[in-house]
Amino acid sequence: MTKTIDHISKKEFMEKLESYRKGSITRRHFLNVTGLGAAAAVMGASVPGLRPQPAYAGDIGDRVVLATWPNYHDLANFDAFTEATGAHVQVNVFGSNEEMLAKLQAGATGWDVYVPTNYTFEDYVKEDLIEPLDTSMLPNYDASAFDARYAEAGSVNGKLYGVPKNWGSTGMAVNTKHNGGNAISSWREFFDITMGKFSGRTIVHDYQLTTIGSALNAFGYSFNSVDEKELADAEKLLIDVKPHLFAITSDYQPGMRNGDAWLTICWSGDGKQLNTDIPEIAYVLGKEGGEIWSDYWAIPKSSERKAAAYALINFMLDPNVNVKEVLAHGYPTADSRTYDQLPEELKNDPIIFPAQELLSPLEFGAAVTLTDPNRAELMARFKSA
Amino acid sequence: MRLYAICVYLFLYIPIGVIALFSFNAGRHASQLQGFSTKWYGKALSNPFVMDALETSLVVAFCSALFASVFGTMAAVALQGIRGPVRATFDLLIYVAVMIPGIVIGIATLIGLVTVFDQLNPLIAAIWPDGFKPPKLRMGIGSLIAAHTMFLMALVVIIVRARLAGMDRALTEASSDLYATPMGTFRQVTLPMIFPAILAGFLLSFTFSFDDFIIAFFVAGSETTLPIYVFSSIRRGVTPEINAIGTMVMGVSLLLLITAQLLLQRGGKKSR
Amino acid sequence: MTKRTRNWLLLAPAGTWFLVMLIIPLTVVFIFSFGERASSGGVELALTLEQYTNLPARWAAFKNTMTLAPLGTMAALLIAYPLAYFLAVKTTPRWKTILLVLVIVPFWTSILIRSYAWIFLLGGRGIPALFEWVGIEGLRLINTPFAVLVGIIYGYLPLMVFPIYVSLDKLDKRLLEASSDLGAKPWKTFLQITLPLSVPGIATGCMLVFILLMGEYLIPALLGGGKVFFVGNALVDLFLQSRNWAYGSAVAVTLVVVMLITVTIYMRLISRLGASREDVSIM
Repeated sequence: MTKTIDHISKKEFMEKLESYRKGSITRRHFLNVTGLGAAAAVMGASVPGLRPQPAYAGDIGDRVVLATWPNYHDLANFDAFTEATGAHVQVNVFGSNEEMLAKLQAGATGWDVYVPTNYTFEDYVKEDLIEPLDTSMLPNYDASAFDARYAEAGSVNGKLYGVPKNWGSTGMAVNTKHNGGNAISSWREFFDITMGKFSGRTIVHDYQLTTIGSALNAFGYSFNSVDEKELADAEKLLIDVKPHLFAITSDYQPGMRNGDAWLTICWSGDGKQLNTDIPEIAYVLGKEGGEIWSDYWAIPKSSERKAAAYALINFMLDPNVNVKEVLAHGYPTADSRTYDQLPEELKNDPIIFPAQELLSPLEFGAAVTLTDPNRAELMARFKSA
Repeated sequence: MRLYAICVYLFLYIPIGVIALFSFNAGRHASQLQGFSTKWYGKALSNPFVMDALETSLVVAFCSALFASVFGTMAAVALQGIRGPVRATFDLLIYVAVMIPGIVIGIATLIGLVTVFDQLNPLIAAIWPDGFKPPKLRMGIGSLIAAHTMFLMALVVIIVRARLAGMDRALTEASSDLYATPMGTFRQVTLPMIFPAILAGFLLSFTFSFDDFIIAFFVAGSETTLPIYVFSSIRRGVTPEINAIGTMVMGVSLLLLITAQLLLQRGGKKSR
Repeated sequence: MTKRTRNWLLLAPAGTWFLVMLIIPLTVVFIFSFGERASSGGVELALTLEQYTNLPARWAAFKNTMTLAPLGTMAALLIAYPLAYFLAVKTTPRWKTILLVLVIVPFWTSILIRSYAWIFLLGGRGIPALFEWVGIEGLRLINTPFAVLVGIIYGYLPLMVFPIYVSLDKLDKRLLEASSDLGAKPWKTFLQITLPLSVPGIATGCMLVFILLMGEYLIPALLGGGKVFFVGNALVDLFLQSRNWAYGSAVAVTLVVVMLITVTIYMRLISRLGASREDVSIM
């Protein structure tokens, strides 16, 4: 635990109280800053009646199925959930949003909870594949605790479908050892160096959004473009660069770790994990732009264990649980309650929390890219070329 | 010649040796040896998802192999006494089932069943008595077993038929001349003779089903089999845990193979 | 119960199974292949040849499959034949069983795990590191067609050895002795007696391996790094990523048709070489 601020002046207190009333700071922030949070917590723990009643008090069944991304959880949290509720968590791991959507469209019901990314919600709602969330079943969900930037995509037409899980950026990881100790700084440079001295050493994702997106960025176009001419430019660049690639895969950690690959498109959490173990691998954002994304907890319409689904989401929203998740996977959370509990060095980590000016050119994925047939077919053509 | 054989065996076993070697790696990453440890075996065995996946795989492999050997044997026995269009149709189906790549079986089963289920589910819901929750057909362990059984059944028919063809017809004729019922003849004469083939078919089916990745990838719905688990682990962040799982699976296969070999040898001797 | 009823009852489960799990699904795929991609993925029924006219966009995948599958089959045959010959002709019975089991064991273990071993062996810390040690630098093996070929040979070698061994084992050793007693040179004995007699085994082995290779997905996916693309990989992409069921169905139908044609031609050739069809279809 970091130290709490316990000495604040009367004036400061009144100011904070005023901002809390007006809603410009959150209740949690108010309680933390004023020190009332600690007091309330102590009281709450000592008086059983004051403890929040868990939503899963009733019988939620013996299992819940979660569809998620790889390396995205602290497995111990699932054990704790099983202990608390009696429901076992089955984790199914997927590689891309397109794959998840394809599975759901094909009727792979049986999932109770999944973790779609911001740009997919419109389509899930349109396809009637996603369940609107009942916040009364999620007592740990406090809308005001979340940064709106990473929470707004969860609502479509005023209805809540997803609550924020983690956010992150898509940049590049470069092994600086092979570039005279220097990182690179733009997507243009990414493709140029790949066709030059990094030939045969670069990985791009097996994922249309990020791979086509970076090629578009290299031309200064929008990451999300579906303009035919711009896509044609991106396709030409990708086809040109293909013979110089080491691999087309979203599984880039092994290649980067064993030294076969020197450069890859990379998600910030993986970047953090690589950088921690191998310090000469740097994680950088392209200066033309790139992706900023936010994943959400959501329930597919086809779930037949909705009570268990709500219980799991509610459990994971508990800041005490969530903080362990962040420590395990290295992706930041939009939940200020969890953020406050993070160790200082993580809060100041430039990979997890990049400076605002680096984040500003980044774009959220746009819904149109998910279903745009031209982007899908471009990616498939690039791979089979 | 002998040197050549040694080289081929080295080619076959070095990769397996490497997998086993790295399963004892103390480090977290699968590509650097960092001391000896058996902790990954413990990790794998206590990982509930590995155990769940293993259980699913075993259930699927056992059920598929069982259905395939029972129905396949029944069909093989029946086809023995049939000529004409029925025989030709079945021959064609068996040929197609064995020939078609697994990936096409997977895709066809997925979109075929999804289409059929989409039609059937409202129908079931409509005729279901009020007040009860109607069952919902969907992809899962059932569809996986069904898909595996389909092509394994064809395999069993081929294996059992080969054995039936090599069987001495005089024996069954003698049996019925001695007024044994057809069932009696089957139980006393035919079954013991084709049993080694059925057992071989069962074991082969079990292995195929247990190892299958591509069909399960499409039709397993929300279920995870061991190959699917291993595949998704390989896709991102491999640890020596995968090596440990692989080594254990190989060890168990080896044991099963030796057991089967012994059983088959004994079965073969009996029926002679 | 008449014999007829009995046979019908015996065939009923298998027949139903084939109808529901083979005929209906294949029919659906065939119908879908004339459909159109729905706006959000999936399929819209139609009667168009658009998907088939689009096939050239997957030419590279078909080309890769149609070159690497026969190449892999041939390579596996060339490596397997001498081994099968050694096992059948040159070993004592006691060693024979042990050596045979040793060939089968790898086949009975997951191809996924065995291919995974090659990711490491062909990767930078594996064989290329050995080469570097003796002074050859910059060798890259993983994610190349060569790596896929190695994976194919490794994965399917046992499947090739076994049928050839069976056919060679049936061969009467006295024939070989007679031939050499009559003064025939060893290679002549081999060409005139051994090789023709082992044709059924070769035919079975090649067909098994070739069929499996035509639908291969795992080996190119794991050892080709997404760069060496088979039709199987294109299919997975179309169904599990870009959700183009109509186009995917057309590619699947084409793959099956190409296979049926190739295998039928192949069987004709083999039967002309003297093996009967029964020999080929028995595994």
